[in-house]
Amino acid sequence: MGQNETAHAPTDDASGETEEFDPIGTLTLIAIYFVILVLSWVYIYYIEFLGRDLVVVG
Amino acid sequence: MHIHNYEKIWLAASVLLILLLLGSVTYGAVGPGVAMVSDSEQAIDAGGLDDDDRFSEPRVEQVGENEYEAYVVAYQFGFQPDPIVVPENSTVTFYVTSRDVIHGFEVAGTNANTMVVPGEVSKITVETDDRQEYGLICNEYCGAGHHVMEGKVNVVSQAEFDDRNDGGNGE
Repeated sequence: MGQNETAHAPTDDASGETEEFDPIGTLTLIAIYFVILVLSWVYIYYIEFLGRDLVVVG
Repeated sequence: MHIHNYEKIWLAASVLLILLLLGSVTYGAVGPGVAMVSDSEQAIDAGGLDDDDRFSEPRVEQVGENEYEAYVVAYQFGFQPDPIVVPENSTVTFYVTSRDVIHGFEVAGTNANTMVVPGEVSKITVETDDRQEYGLICNEYCGAGHHVMEGKVNVVSQAEFDDRNDGGNGE
């Protein structure tokens, strides 16, 4: 799939305008990674860290 | 320069992520008041702890309404006092120092955790919740007995704490 897209790219660039290169799969993957990252951070910081006893306040 | 639309989305998302991380830490400091181990304490003579007001007699002391200070000495291989007894739902400041080598002071399973350096006083303030017994461990390798160096932090009811302090002189 990737090869085909790169093969087409130069002609598209020459004609300009239209964007045929739409890596929707990559976008979806990165979106999923992003969601995992955000959820992990929320869990690690807000639940595990702040939820523990004896939070150091000074 | 041509930037693909998807690339703009990824850029925006990564900036958003950075802001989220920074925002959380800021929230932690402003909201729940998360702080670092204080470096404001004066250096002391590690060899002269027996003449020190605070550390000649390691203890827990009431310093205000619902405010307590615990003076703790770490040594090879243990902590004084043992157990460290503090009342529930109070603010406790630990002043921890070492009489020999570098130790760690970690109340197991909690965020109370600091290095203990001879000649320095580590100060951390925490808020206790309900009654509970915590383990206290050394997390810096301090010698042959490091693995057996442990103590206890007991969070007890106010009544029990008062009892111990009134009647527990011989302890």
